[in-house]
This record gives sequence, structure tokens and C-alpha cells, in this order.
Amino acid sequence: MNQQQAPAEDMRKRGRANLTWVLLVMTFLAVIAAPTMIVLFFGLLPAMVAYIIDRTPHKSAAITVGSINFIGVFPYVMQLWFDINDVSAAMDIVKDLFALLVMYSAAAFGWLLFLALPTVISSFVVVMHQRKVAQLRGQQKDLIDEWGAEVSQLVEMRRMERQGEHMSHGMSVSD
Amino acid sequence: MAKAQEQAVETAPPRQDSPAPGAAAAPVSAPKKDAPEAAEDAPETEFLTLGGKEHDTGIPIPVRPAPAAFDPDDHPPVTVNERYMVYPSQPLHDLSSPSAQAYAAEDKREPGRQLYALVCNPGLPVRTGVMQDMKRKAINGLIPLVDFGSEYWSPFDHTCMFVIFERPLGGRLTEAFGDKPLKVNEYELAKVILEPLAHAIAEMATADIQHRAIRLDNIFFMDRERHILVLGECVTSPPGFDQPSIYEPLERGLAMACGRGKGETRDDLYALGICALFLLLGYNPLGELSDEQMLIAKIEQGTYQAFCANERIPMALIEPLRGLMSDDPLERWPMEALELWISGQKKTPIQRRPIAKPKSTYGFGGYKHKSPRTIALFFAKNVNDAARAVKNGKLEHWVRQSLGDTHLADDINSLALHAKVHEGSPDASDEVLVAKTIMRLDPEGPLRYKGFSCTPDGFGAAMAVEYMRKESFQIPGEIFARDLMGYWFSSQREPNKDYIIIEKTFQNLRALTKINEMGYGLERCLYELNPSLPCLSPLLRSVYVEYVEEMLEALDQVADSVDSRTRPMDKHIAAFIATYFRHDITPHLKAVSDAKDEVSLIGTLSLLALMQWRQQTEPLLGLASWIGGLLGPAINTYHSRKTRRSLEEKIPALVRQGSLPGLFDLIDNGERRMLDNTEFDDARIKFAQAEDEIQTLIGDDVDQEKQALQKGEKATAMIALTVSMVATSVILTVMSM
Repeated sequence: MNQQQAPAEDMRKRGRANLTWVLLVMTFLAVIAAPTMIVLFFGLLPAMVAYIIDRTPHKSAAITVGSINFIGVFPYVMQLWFDINDVSAAMDIVKDLFALLVMYSAAAFGWLLFLALPTVISSFVVVMHQRKVAQLRGQQKDLIDEWGAEVSQLVEMRRMERQGEHMSHGMSVSD
Repeated sequence: MAKAQEQAVETAPPRQDSPAPGAAAAPVSAPKKDAPEAAEDAPETEFLTLGGKEHDTGIPIPVRPAPAAFDPDDHPPVTVNERYMVYPSQPLHDLSSPSAQAYAAEDKREPGRQLYALVCNPGLPVRTGVMQDMKRKAINGLIPLVDFGSEYWSPFDHTCMFVIFERPLGGRLTEAFGDKPLKVNEYELAKVILEPLAHAIAEMATADIQHRAIRLDNIFFMDRERHILVLGECVTSPPGFDQPSIYEPLERGLAMACGRGKGETRDDLYALGICALFLLLGYNPLGELSDEQMLIAKIEQGTYQAFCANERIPMALIEPLRGLMSDDPLERWPMEALELWISGQKKTPIQRRPIAKPKSTYGFGGYKHKSPRTIALFFAKNVNDAARAVKNGKLEHWVRQSLGDTHLADDINSLALHAKVHEGSPDASDEVLVAKTIMRLDPEGPLRYKGFSCTPDGFGAAMAVEYMRKESFQIPGEIFARDLMGYWFSSQREPNKDYIIIEKTFQNLRALTKINEMGYGLERCLYELNPSLPCLSPLLRSVYVEYVEEMLEALDQVADSVDSRTRPMDKHIAAFIATYFRHDITPHLKAVSDAKDEVSLIGTLSLLALMQWRQQTEPLLGLASWIGGLLGPAINTYHSRKTRRSLEEKIPALVRQGSLPGLFDLIDNGERRMLDNTEFDDARIKFAQAEDEIQTLIGDDVDQEKQALQKGEKATAMIALTVSMVATSVILTVMSM
């Protein structure tokens, strides 16, 4: 039990350290580029939510939503940079419902994309895997035809070893 | 036909056990009143007694099986060495030997030549070495051997050895007397009998040949006028085998017939002395006694005394007879002494040494013994009582107190102690204890163990006959295992230089018996000790393989008649080849003996291929086909199916060439095998890699859908990221314009 607790504890510590760094960088950016940070903060709220609710290690949902969300936010950031770049201009943008609609619609599209596309891609992946397995099995069959069943000795040995390990592990647990 | 074969195979070897047909008609007379009880248990004798019409002379003659006349349509004549015709329809009973049947023979190149053929018993080892010597050089005074060779003899349904002799036209010496008593006077004896026969023995001695079959009924006249006296054949059975034991010196007469050994010229002279005595007296003075009683008389009184004590021997013949019949081999007249006597010169008379008598007799087996040698004789017949007598100290006490031989008594005591200490172990069994005690009591006598008795130089022939009779090496094997022959040598009171080589041979053979591989063991000992013994492999029953050069041809010959699933190799064939093939075949024998079927098969092929290559033998179509059909397991040692198919396709062509080296090269090509192994290892690795890949895709612990979905999600994220970067770039470009 203690062994299982240790990695979780490590991750928690690492997460706290990361958060500290993020807060430091954000504070620094807020000081030197406050208008941009205001637009980004309000514009990328869906992305942040997606990041928080996405519990997968790869954060695919957050990346997808964030990427598309950023497309919606980026024109307003550009507007800020090319026109008046102060806090009131930034506040004007975030108060503009149309602007918010554009930003959040982009995020919503990102969500839609994330919900729809992986299923389609996974179907392709499954089919490709099946083809690959069939091809490998064919190769193995050719090898057996040419060299006999003893060509699978290594595999059988490993399987036996695994079984042995499993058995001994089971026995040690029961001990 | 089968009956004839049975008769042939059984007549000679089991002579000790089975009464000869016809022996019952004239058996040896019953034992005397005071005969030992044990004598009654003696095996029935297989000898007839020679007699005139009115009186039985008591001279033993071995039974000669009457050869049958076979229908020439069923049994056509046999051609020996492509020259001599032997006719199964024309038996010659008068010329038969105890172990070989005589048939008329004809020389195709000289049709008028007077010949006869002896068809040897296939169940007995013959003396081909002596045959070669006799064929190479004619010996005066010995029946001329014209030729010999092995051929198939249809009446026996067996391949037999044929020996072609010139026909003795005057018949046997014993038949020359007709109705007259079988007796010659002292002058005739010296001139007509002893002189020619002594010269024959001398000439044989020069050629290092011992006759060992000199007996009254084996002396012939070569001419019709009966002037040329010759010794009969001596090659159709082991040395001394056909001899009634009365003709044998004590140390050999005590052994079983097949174990009497090659012997020495002195043994021939002893037999000549007995013949001379019989002819001089006209009868056998010990004819009333059984074999055992005769041996006891010889032991207790000495041969000369036993025979001549109550006879009138002419003065002139006392010394030669005493000299020839001396029981001490070193004291017995050598050839030179006899030749001196024949030439009229006198030799210093042998000093008579009285036989030492014990203070009291030793009772055993219903007989009161006066000599340790008779005790040994009786011990051999009653092992249980003998062991008891040794263990309870009775024998030791008698030897110490009555015989006064403390050294022998100590030996017996230590044997008894050893048996008690190691009780239960095979080395201390009653049989071994008694055998060793016998060797101490009668060191000059034969080795006697479980009814098997032989002299050291007779062990080989005895072993061969024992195997031919019982198809078992049980007793000879035990003799080797217990090192009884080594004990026999160590029991000798006086060192004998002749025994040094034999002892060394036995030590080497004993080491061979311990190797449990083909080509070694007791079969190897059998062939090492019997240079003229044909290979006794069951596979080669129908052929006669005497030389290793004939082995491949013989296997080729039998290839069509044997079960094709059997291998052309067994313990006998391997031992025969190992004994006579003069090249190092140790690795081949190791492979032949391997427990793995395929390795053993390749070993067999490699050995036979080596022989064909070395001997430059003609193509062996039958043998190649036989082995080719067995090569399945050997081909299967290759992993690649393609290679196997290729080999299988190539075999028929090599079989048609009759080439064993070709087959071996095909099956055990080093380069091909290395390539096969390397490629097989690669294939195994490829297979394992494929399996690993499959397991990562569809392994038991893999959730395929989840994995695919994760991949989809990742791909979606990548797409979104890419789109975002492109869109950002476009926006940046548009707005900056």
C-alpha cells in the first residue's frame, strides 16, 4: 500500500511546483503585458476549463479545445497589439459580446472536434491494427511452414517464464 | 531340412549335457564299487568305446554324427571357392569328424583328385588361422588341407565353413586292424606310429600350430597300402574340443571341452603318449572308470602311474611314455627329447617324485580326498557344501594340520574372512568364494565358476561356445566383473612368461567390458579373443563374415531379406568392426551408441561410409537402399523444410550409385548444417519479434478500443494544434498587411 502511495505523493508535489511556476510567470506577464493577459484570460477560459476537467495524461482534450479556442482569441489579441494596447481597450474587447461569442464558439468547435474526430480516427486505427496483426501472423505461419513448430521456441520459453513468474508471484502473495 | 540344421547346430556344442545318439548303445562301463558318490552325478559321456568284435578295449572315441544323404534335386552340389564341388547327396560317414560332417568333394580343375569336404558345424567356432597355415604350407604327417571357404549349405539352411581335404585312402588307423586286436608291438610303435607322428608334431610346432586333436581315431593312412600315416584334421572345432578328456593333460582335461585352450606342443605330445600307450597295450587300462574317476586317478597317482601301475611296459618305452605323460608341464618331454629318443639317443630319466600325501584324508562329497586338486574337482560340482566347508574353517584346518601348507591355509582363511565381511556383495557370493578357493587349491587347474571351466587360453573359445549355445554372456561377464581371471593369474605359484601376455590382454579386455557403448563390452571381448570367429550378429545369420572386409558386402547381401526398419548395426557388428577395422573409429562408435535416434543413425552411416571409403568397396546398392530408407530421423535434424525436401529428393540418386560416403556427405554436410542452424536462429528471432509486435497490438492486457481512442484523441489534438498554427499564421499575415 505504501508503495502505491509514493508515486501519487510525488505527482502531487510536482503539480504544486508547476503551479507555483505558472503563477510566477503569469504574475510577471500580468505586470509587463496586462492588456494581452486580460484578453487571453477571459478568451481562453474554455481552454482552462478543458485543461482542468481533462484527467488524461496526454491532455488531448485540453490541447484540442485550447488550439481552436486560441484561433478565436488570436484576432483580438492582434487587434490589441496593432491598435491601442492598454487595459481599457482590453476590457472593451472582453466586454464585447460578439468578441466573446467568437472566442467561445471557437472553443465549442474545438470541443465538437474532440468529441467527433477521435472515434473516426480510432476506427481507422483498429482496422490498421487488424491488418498489421494479420500480416504478422502470416509471417509467423510462413516461418513455421519453413522451420517447423520449434521456430516458436523462444516465444514459448518466454510464455513459460511469464507463467512461472506469475505462479511464483501468486505463491509469494499467498505466503 | 530344418531337422538337419537342428541336428547340426545341436550336436557339437551341448555335448556335455545331452547324450549323443548312439552313445547309449555302448556306454562307458559303470563306476567301480569304491567310486565316489559324486561321480554318479557326472554328466553322461558322449564318447563311444572302441572295441573289437569280442572285447571292449575301453578306448574312448568321440561320436561322429552320421551325415545324411540329401536329395540332389532339393539340395544341389555346393561350389566352394568356385572350384570344389561338394555333394550333399554323397555323405562319407567314415571320414566325418565329431564336429563336422564329411561329404564327397570334387576338384573341377582336376576331376580325378581324391578329395572330401568337411562341413563345419555353424554353431561352433572353427580354427581358420590353422586352416590358413595348413593351406599355405603342407605339413608332412598331417592330412593335407586343400582349401577352405564359407558357402551356403542348404541342408542346414545356413552358411557354413567347408574344409576340403585330400581323402585318406587307407582309412582310419583304428579300422586298419579289422578283427584283430588293436595292438602293436614296441618296435612297430616306435617306427610306424611314433616316428611319423612325432615328425608331424615337430613340423607343426615349427609353424606354431598345435594340433590338439591327437587321438587314436583321428589317425589315418593316406595310401591304400597303409604306409603313410597322418594325423587327422584339427580345424573344425576349438582346440581340444573333440578330445575325450583322457587324452588331455590334467590342467586342460579338467576344463570343459570348449575351454581347453590352444595349448602347447607338449599337450600334443601328451596325447601322443596316450595314443602310444593304448596301441601298446591294446586297450585302455582306465577304461572301466568314468571320466571323473579317471581324472581322480590321474591326480592322485599321476598319469603314468594311473595307466601303467599294473601293466607290463617294455623297458625301451618306459622313459618315453613317462616323459610324454608327465603331469608337470615343465617336466614333460619336449619335442627335442622325443626326437632324440627316436634317433636312438638316451635321455636322462625323469626322477620320480612321490606325490605328497596328507596325514589324514579330507571327506567331501562322499569321497575321502588325499589331494587338494580332487577337492577342487569336487568343490566345483557342489558349490553350496563347498562354501560351507570354506566358511566353517574345516578345509583350512585340514590344509594346515594335515597337508602342512600354512600358506594355502592362510589364503583360504582370508578368503573365508573376506566372504564373511562382505556378505551380500556379489564379490563375496558363494560361487565366487568357491571359485577362488578352487584356484588356490589347484592353481594349475582351469578357472571353474558356475559350471564354466576353462584355461586362460581357452577362455575365448569357451566364451564363444557359451554364447552360441545360450546367446548369453552371463557367466563370462561375471568372470570379468569379479576379475576371476586376474585372481587365477595371481594364484600361480610360479611365474609363467607365457601368461604375461594373456594376463595383460585380460586386463585390457576387462577395461573394455566396463564401457557401455556399441563396439565395446563383452561382444568386443568375444571377437578380440576369437580371431577366427565369424560375426555372430543376428542380422548376419545367413552369411559368414569372418573378415571385416566382408562386412559391407554381407550387409549388402542381407539387405533385401531383413526387416527394413531394423538398423544395419548392432552390438556384434559394431564390436566386430571395432576389433578388426584398423582405423580410429572411436567418435563413430560414440555416435552409434548415442541415445538420440538420429545421432545414432548418422553415426551408423558415418561408420559404414568410412569403411566403404577406406576399403574402396564396390557400389552397395542393397545397403545404400536399406540405409536410405532409414534416414528419416537424420534428415529431420535439419530445421529447414526446404532443405529436408531437397535432401529427400537427392537420396534416390545416391542410393542408385550405392554410395554410402555420398549419402553421408549429403546427410551430414557441415556447411549445410551450419547454414541451417544460422538461418534457424534468425527465423526464431523473427518469429519472436513478430509475436512481440502482435502482443503490443492485440495482447491480452491491451484494451484495443481504448488504445485506438487514445490514438484518435492524440491525432485530433495534433490536428487541432496544426490547424491553430496555420490559422494563427494566416491571421497574422492578413492583419499585418
